Amino acid sequence: MMPVFKLHNISKRYGQREVLHIDKLAIAERKIYSILGPNGSGKTTLMRIMALLTRNDTGTVQVLGEDIHWGKEQVLNLRRKMTMVTQTSFMFEGSVYSNVAYGLKVRGKKEKEIRPAVEKSLHLFGMSAFIGADARHLSGGERQKVAIARALALEPRVLFLDEPTANIDPRSAVEIERYVQFINREFGTTIILVTHNLFQARRLADEVFFLWDGKMIEKGSGQKLFEQAEDQRTRSFLTGETVF
Amino acid sequence: MEIIINGIREGSLLIWSMDPEIIRVTLMSLQVSLSALLIAACLGIPTGAALALKEIPGRRLLLNITYTFMGLPPVLAGLMVYLALTTRGPLGQYQLLFTPAAMICAQILLAFPIICGLTARTVMAQQQEVYDTAVTLGASRRQAAQAIIRESRIGIIAALTTALGRLIAEVGAVMLVGGNIQGSTRVLTTSIVLETRMGNDSRAIGIGIILLTIAFSIIVFINLLEKRSFKNDAGIQIT
Repeated sequence: MMPVFKLHNISKRYGQREVLHIDKLAIAERKIYSILGPNGSGKTTLMRIMALLTRNDTGTVQVLGEDIHWGKEQVLNLRRKMTMVTQTSFMFEGSVYSNVAYGLKVRGKKEKEIRPAVEKSLHLFGMSAFIGADARHLSGGERQKVAIARALALEPRVLFLDEPTANIDPRSAVEIERYVQFINREFGTTIILVTHNLFQARRLADEVFFLWDGKMIEKGSGQKLFEQAEDQRTRSFLTGETVF
Repeated sequence: MEIIINGIREGSLLIWSMDPEIIRVTLMSLQVSLSALLIAACLGIPTGAALALKEIPGRRLLLNITYTFMGLPPVLAGLMVYLALTTRGPLGQYQLLFTPAAMICAQILLAFPIICGLTARTVMAQQQEVYDTAVTLGASRRQAAQAIIRESRIGIIAALTTALGRLIAEVGAVMLVGGNIQGSTRVLTTSIVLETRMGNDSRAIGIGIILLTIAFSIIVFINLLEKRSFKNDAGIQIT
C-alpha cells in the first residue's frame, strides 16, 4: 500500500533554534496516528509540514506518492485531498451552512451539489438543526462538530486533528472521539491526531509517535508505547513525571 | 445663539422650499464626493489588501508613505492637482481645471490613502487562522486572500465611511481646482464659505445642516448595505 506521507531527513528552524528534526517517517493509509509530546516538542510543526502549511528547511516530503516541490498547482491539488480541524476551529462569518459549504465552493462545485453534501455532512454529526445558525454563536462542542462536518463534506483522504477536544467538555470530547473513529472506519480516512491527551491517543490511535525536543524518540502501537516504552523520557511523560 | 436658531430655521426652509440652487449644489456635492469615493475605493481596497498580504519589496516604506498621506492637507492635494491640470501642467491639454472632473481628481487624492491605509491595517489585523482555515479547506492563495478581505469588511466599511466623511466636508481642494463657479463647480462646502463671506450666516448654517444630514444619510445607507457585517458587532459587553 502506498504511504500517504513519507518524510526523510526533515528539519525546521525558527531563527537559531531547530524545532524539528525527523530522520524518517511513513504514514500508511486508512489508519489513525497520534503525535504525542510535551509543549514545544514540534508536534504542530510536524503536522503543518505534512499538511503543506509550513515549508521544511531540509529533507524531502512525499505526499500521496508525489515529491513536494512547492509549485502552486501541486500544493493546491494535494491540499485539496486533506483537511484540518484545530482546537479553536475558526468559523467564517456567516451561517453554519456557508461554513460547511466553503470548501466545496472553492472547488467550484455547483449549488445543487453543495446543498445535499452539506446537509448530509451535518446530519452525520447530529448538527442538521444548526444549518441556518450563526456559526460564531455556537458553543465549543457544537463548533467542533461543525468543523468536523465541514472537513468531512470534502471527503478528504487525510484528516489532521490538532487538539480537537482541548477546549470542550468531557461529554462532547467523547462524542468527537466517536466521530473520529466513525470517519476512519466508514470512509477509510487517514487520521493524524496531535494531542496532549495520553488517554485519547491510546483510545484512538493505531500508532503513536512520541516527539521530544523536535525529535521522534519513540513510536509504536498505543498499547506498546503505554505499557513498554523503551525511552526513559517517554516513560516519564506517560507517568506524568515530566514537568511542562 | 440667535444666528444658530435662524440658521436651523433657514436650513429647514431651504430644504422645504426645494431651492433650485441648493438642489443643484447638493447634487454636485454628491456627484463629486461619491464619484471620488467609488474610484478611490476601487483603487484603494485592492492596493491596501495587496500591501497587507503580499511580499512586495519596500512594502514597509509604501505603508509608511500611505499612512503619511492619510493626513494630507486638502489644500496641498488641491495644489498638486492644480499644478497637474493647469495649462502649463502635464495634463493641461485636457482642460480639466475648474471642472467637476478636477474636483473628483483632488478628492481621489485625499480618499485613496485613507481607504488604502485603513484597508491594509484591518487586513493585517486578521489572524493567521483565517488563512490557514481557508487553505486547509482547499482555497487557492487568491481565494484565501478573498476570505481574509471578506473577514475584514467591517474595517473596510469603516475606511469608506472615514473617507466619505473627509470628502463631503472638504473645502480647500475643491475650491482650488473647482473655483466655486455657480452652476458648474459650486458644492455645499464652497457655498458655506461664500455665504459666510457675504455675511449670510444663517444661510451658511442652513447649508451646513443640509451637508450634515446628507453625510449622516449616506453613512447610514453604507452601514445598511453591509448590515450582516454588523450583526455580530455588539462590541465588548462591559457589565
